Amino acid sequence: MRSQSGGGTPPPPNRKLFLTTAAYHRPSRWTPFWFLAPALAIKAAVVVVPAAQTIWLSLQDYLLYEPDAATFVGLGNFRAILRDEVFWISLGHSAVWIIGVVGLQFLLGLVAALLLNQSFWWRGAARALVVVPWALPSVIIGLMWTWMYDFNVGVLNDMLVRIGIIDAPIAWLARPDLALAAIMAALIWQGFPFFAITILAGLQTIPSELYEAAEIDGANRRQMLWHITLPSIADVIATALLLRTIWVANSLDVILVMTGGGPGYATHTLPLYAFVRAYNSMEFGYAAALALVLTLLLLTVVWLYVRRASRDLDR
Amino acid sequence: MERREFLKLSAAAALAAPLARPAIAQTPTTVRWWYHFDNPQNSPAALVAKFEQENPGIKIQAEAIPWGGGNDYQTRLFAALVAGNGPDAAMVRLSWAARFAAMKALEPLDAMINGWAGRSDISDNVWKINKGADGKQYYLPLQYVVIYLYYRQDLFQQAGLQPPKTFDEFLAAAKALTKGDVAGFGMRGGAGGFDNWGPFVLGGGASFEKGGMVSEKALAANRWYVGLAREAKVTPASAPTDSFRQIVDAFKAGRTAMIMHHVGSSNEIVGALGDKVSAVPVPRAADGQGWTYFGDESNAVFSASKAKEAAFKWIAFLSTAENNNELNKLTGQLPITTSGAAQWTGHPKRFVEASSASLPIARSLPDHPKTPDFIARIWPTNMQRALNGEISPDDMMKAIEQHFNG
Repeated sequence: MRSQSGGGTPPPPNRKLFLTTAAYHRPSRWTPFWFLAPALAIKAAVVVVPAAQTIWLSLQDYLLYEPDAATFVGLGNFRAILRDEVFWISLGHSAVWIIGVVGLQFLLGLVAALLLNQSFWWRGAARALVVVPWALPSVIIGLMWTWMYDFNVGVLNDMLVRIGIIDAPIAWLARPDLALAAIMAALIWQGFPFFAITILAGLQTIPSELYEAAEIDGANRRQMLWHITLPSIADVIATALLLRTIWVANSLDVILVMTGGGPGYATHTLPLYAFVRAYNSMEFGYAAALALVLTLLLLTVVWLYVRRASRDLDR
Repeated sequence: MERREFLKLSAAAALAAPLARPAIAQTPTTVRWWYHFDNPQNSPAALVAKFEQENPGIKIQAEAIPWGGGNDYQTRLFAALVAGNGPDAAMVRLSWAARFAAMKALEPLDAMINGWAGRSDISDNVWKINKGADGKQYYLPLQYVVIYLYYRQDLFQQAGLQPPKTFDEFLAAAKALTKGDVAGFGMRGGAGGFDNWGPFVLGGGASFEKGGMVSEKALAANRWYVGLAREAKVTPASAPTDSFRQIVDAFKAGRTAMIMHHVGSSNEIVGALGDKVSAVPVPRAADGQGWTYFGDESNAVFSASKAKEAAFKWIAFLSTAENNNELNKLTGQLPITTSGAAQWTGHPKRFVEASSASLPIARSLPDHPKTPDFIARIWPTNMQRALNGEISPDDMMKAIEQHFNG
């Protein structure tokens, strides 16, 4: 822009005006930030402010029904969390929940993707059908599985009794040793299509020459899977695993619908416990502290994800 | 002021007045009212239309709020009040009264109620139950239900049993009727099940006073109640998490012989079981003491409202005999007015009679800020752990005592 006014042209008579115009046109180092400003403002409004508010709340003894009596307690809520038996129970369940759900969703998704990558005449229909669980709202999934598990009228007990696997119906959601696993099964069913579709997309990017070359070299199917397929889709798998870990760690809707955290604390996970303390007890300060602890734990996963994503961008 | 100027001003005022006055009159006062009906397809539109016709200056903006076992409704209401965006009036429960009082969120209605013609059509007993802790009247009663015992008449007759009047008779009947697929008592251990526990444990001697949950009598009563599932085994294996839907469906399917609920489910149950089902008040302890849950529902006007009088007119309209009966057809509960109750045909008579026969022992839960948390969190988690043998029945009672009395 400066070159427009250069090139030996005599200075215009009104120098002041010229300077102003030039300054106006010169890209200042702030210019990129002005372009970013709308996005940053929205980000601040929907992420930064609520996050700051949550941090502020976590430092207070804040009951929703006594907003004027809120007192600053510093790290008091966090100290209380460390002494809270239910927090440790919920943390343990969260670990089982994340590892179990994400791990099995991944394995099931991988198998489904490998099958869907084969050629068979109804492959198109199969690919469409596999997405169905993923497309259903979580609340519907929760209700549907609750009825399937129902003690008196559930289809699962009915089938198992008819086949002869069990003698009497099982109260799947009322037994502390089964309830968490029963809900995990529902969520695994809901989430495996995400892996199936993502991995399938990855599989389709693998050049067929690699397999042909391997075949000429005498590799068997297992060797091809291990040495060609999996290394080729490793990036896709890693990203999908990280993303899904974050989602699964946060998800509480299916648990809330199916058991509400019960029986007792048998299906309490960290986000559910934070929810219960916020919405049943209206202890917003304590619940905010619980949510922050969960956030801090998840930040490790988020950090890995962001590092990965930025590495991909740099490529 | 110059004479000319005065004339000009007067003329301007005279011209402006007729323009301004209708404008004010034409702007109706809007009353935002929050409600919840068990059947979300029912709408209060006809009642709103009738009210607006009778009160041309008032518009009612009726907003259906999801109930979610009480939690969703309650949290939304409190959050809206804290945010300064609450309704003018709303359907409320007695167990929230202490939390409202802590927030000074409600408008005392005494003066308006005293000047209201419908006051005497609601019994003194109901007014007394609904009085605030400070003696003022914040709640205008709207409807009620009382927990009673549904039982299968046919199964009782086959077994040669009478409907139970005492805890011992109840246990004997439950044992006699537990056979094969059928459990004698469809216990509600999931959300809302405190109203199944209360008749036996609060009726058996426990109380919310300091030490009232850990007295010998209270502990024994709770051991007996937990024992229904763990020792006598007269409940379905799913009892720890069974909630409203499960107990009603199992009863309708013939998988249980007795359940405890209120008149709100009677039409649905009769639809499935017809004359095979009837109801009696909940059983009492050997000493004749009894307790059952008075499920109240009132309307309240919020102190932040700018349309308090209009809001009161609306809620008073809803608690007036004829309108109240119309409303109860939508909610499935019982009319609050004496004259309305006399004409009520919304439920089979035997269930209405079981409800009124239960009134002498009907109580609400304590007016305490921690009561909603007791209902939603403390009671279910501890009850379920006790039913599953993770903690002892006594530990459950200690947790409740700790919750209320530290």
